[in-house]
Amino acid sequence: MRRYETIFITHPEVSEEELSELQGKINSILTSYKGELIKLDDWGIRKLTYEIRKNSRGRFFLMDYAAGTDLIREMERNLRLHDRVLRFQTVKVDDQVTPDSLKALKEAVGAEKVKTPERIEPPAEAKVPVETPKEGGEKE
Amino acid sequence: MKPAPRRKRPFQRRKVCVFCADSSMKINYKDTKTLSHFITERGKILPRRISGNCAKHQRELTAAIKRARNIALMPFSVLST
Repeated sequence: MRRYETIFITHPEVSEEELSELQGKINSILTSYKGELIKLDDWGIRKLTYEIRKNSRGRFFLMDYAAGTDLIREMERNLRLHDRVLRFQTVKVDDQVTPDSLKALKEAVGAEKVKTPERIEPPAEAKVPVETPKEGGEKE
Repeated sequence: MKPAPRRKRPFQRRKVCVFCADSSMKINYKDTKTLSHFITERGKILPRRISGNCAKHQRELTAAIKRARNIALMPFSVLST
């Protein structure tokens, strides 16, 4: 198996229903072709540097997965047919992926996900100590 | 008619490839911030003689910029105003 990365851009006003439908399709392809999803990132709506089908904005998704060549063909065929997908690009990241390295990768992604809320939290925590002395002061 | 004598260019210090100088810098097509240093205002890729990159990294760089262009992260061309 190889590790691939697909970026696809959907229409900016795509509904949540359409997104979940698209995601369901992706998942079914992954399961039927024995692919392994490492992560699926939603970059949100970004400005496009040039118009694609009269759209100057698009919603970006980054999909990181391990798969074989037949999965890629099926995935790209489906993305091409999907009318809400404006553009997609698949890039090979790694030539060889073993089940072990796949596990490590997934764990790394899981660790990242744990880390990111922590990174967001500190400002909230920083506010808390400011408030607690006041409470302490009141109690005294 | 004799061709006009070529003007001698002033000596320039040979630039060093930034990617070789700093190995922590990675070329990635999603990293538009780094890539944008190597394009002109009109969106063209800077030639090696100006950027000073080594052949290996210039090759990687052009591939990365072209990938970024494909998914609308970078422009193919910027119209001058």
